[in-house]
Order: sequence, then structure tokens, then C-alpha cells
Amino acid sequence: MARILAVDDSPSMRQLVKLALSSGGHEVDLATDGVEALEVAEKQQFDVVITDVNMPNMDGIALVRELRRRTNYRFVPLLMLTTESTSERKQQGKEAGATGWLVKPFDPDRLLSIVSKVLT
Amino acid sequence: MGTAAADEPCRCETLGVSAEAAAILLAFAMRESEAPAVELGSALERLGQRLRPAAADASRELLTQDLAACVRALQFHDRLMQQLAVIRNLLTRYTDSGNLLPTMAGFGAQRWEELLAELRERLTAETHDELFELLVRTGGVGTHGGAPGSQAEGSSELF
Repeated sequence: MARILAVDDSPSMRQLVKLALSSGGHEVDLATDGVEALEVAEKQQFDVVITDVNMPNMDGIALVRELRRRTNYRFVPLLMLTTESTSERKQQGKEAGATGWLVKPFDPDRLLSIVSKVLT
Repeated sequence: MGTAAADEPCRCETLGVSAEAAAILLAFAMRESEAPAVELGSALERLGQRLRPAAADASRELLTQDLAACVRALQFHDRLMQQLAVIRNLLTRYTDSGNLLPTMAGFGAQRWEELLAELRERLTAETHDELFELLVRTGGVGTHGGAPGSQAEGSSELF
């Protein structure tokens, strides 16, 4: 079981990601944007962070960049979960330090298997 | 001759009102649809929690599959919100933003009725066609099968 932070500005998407990950036995915390995610991530350590890209206040790519600056998140898997699928955006995510790029809509089993994979 | 033309509202003006009305309607529809989607998500979450301690049998397996199908299907809402937000932003950018949109703060049923009454006064029948053309032109209404990039949907890539 892992402790996962899921970040998305859409309330329904946050719920669905939480539902999918909880069904795999993971403990899931939620944040609505990059700023809130940073605050939560500073208070407690997560094993995986899954974030949307387009969000108000701080987007997912900026969040990944910020998390990678922190020593305790340097090697933590950071996954982008987004509707964006262009190679330019993926490259931006990769350069920021993302571990992987998942395009919505996600399949719950697939999401769980990717989380397991990045945790090993 | 000049007087008759001056009495009729200019095309840009009526189109502007239509676009403004469309932006308000979209914002309202987006707000209205959020609560049911969240409620559905909460119900699914509760169902999922009840399933966890249950014994592993065939019916549980089927329920789990149904839950996964619900999770996949409910993501339509997120996509819909994104598409509507793009249209709303295009329309808002198009209009001369001064009039109705800033008054949307504190939006409630009574305020909505006031806005509708104001719009009914300002909106002319022919602007509906113009509005539709505008939506098609700006790509808000798709006329061909899948959206660009739809082949990538559900894909994943680890770096």
C-alpha cells in the first residue's frame, strides 16, 4: 500500500482517481491545484504524486518542477494525468522531472498497474 | 434610408449579445452539472468502500467491473467541462465584456431569472443562426467523428 497525492482542479476527477486508487488499497490524499499540493506535500511525505496538467494557480508541470527541487521528492514517482497528449507538452513534463504521462480518460486497473510499476 | 439602417441593431452588436448570452448559459450549465457529477462520484466511492471487505466471489467481481466501468464513463464530465470552458472562453473573448458577465458573482436562481429577462430583451431571433455559425467557426461544435488527438486517449508512457 502506498500513500498517494492526487491533484486535479475537477472535483469529479479527484473523486474518480481516489476511488480507483483506494480500490487497490492505497491511501489517497487530494489537492485542487499545484499550490495546495505543495503545501500538503510539505506537511507529509507521499510515495507517488499524480497530477493534472492544466490547473489554476499552479499547473502540473510547475508543480513537478517545484517538487523535484525538494530533496525528499527528488526520487518520488510523479505522474501526469491529463487530456493533453501533444509531444511538446509531454516533453515539457519530462524536462520538469515527471516520471510518466497518462492521457485521460484513465482505466482504473491500468492506473493501478502503472502505480505498482513506478513503485517497484 | 440612413434612418432605417440606424434604427436596426448592427450585426456585430446582436452577435455580441448572442455570444455574451451563450457564455452565460455555458457558465450556468457548467455550474449546474458539477454537483450531480460530484454526487455520483461520492456514491461510487461509498460503493467501493462497501465492496472492499466483502468476500471474493463472482458477484463481487462483477460489481468491481461495473465500478471500473462507472469510473471510465464518468470521466465524460471532466472532458465536457473542458470543452465547454474552451467555448465559454472563446465567447467571452469575442464579446465586449462590459455588460452582463461581471454581474455573475453571487449567482442564484433569482439572479438567473433577472439575467434571462435582460437577455430576452436584447436578443433578436436571427442571432441564433449567427451564434451557431460562430460556434462552428471557432471549433466549439465538432461535425466529424473523433476529436483531434483522440487516438492518444487512455494511453500511458513512462519516461
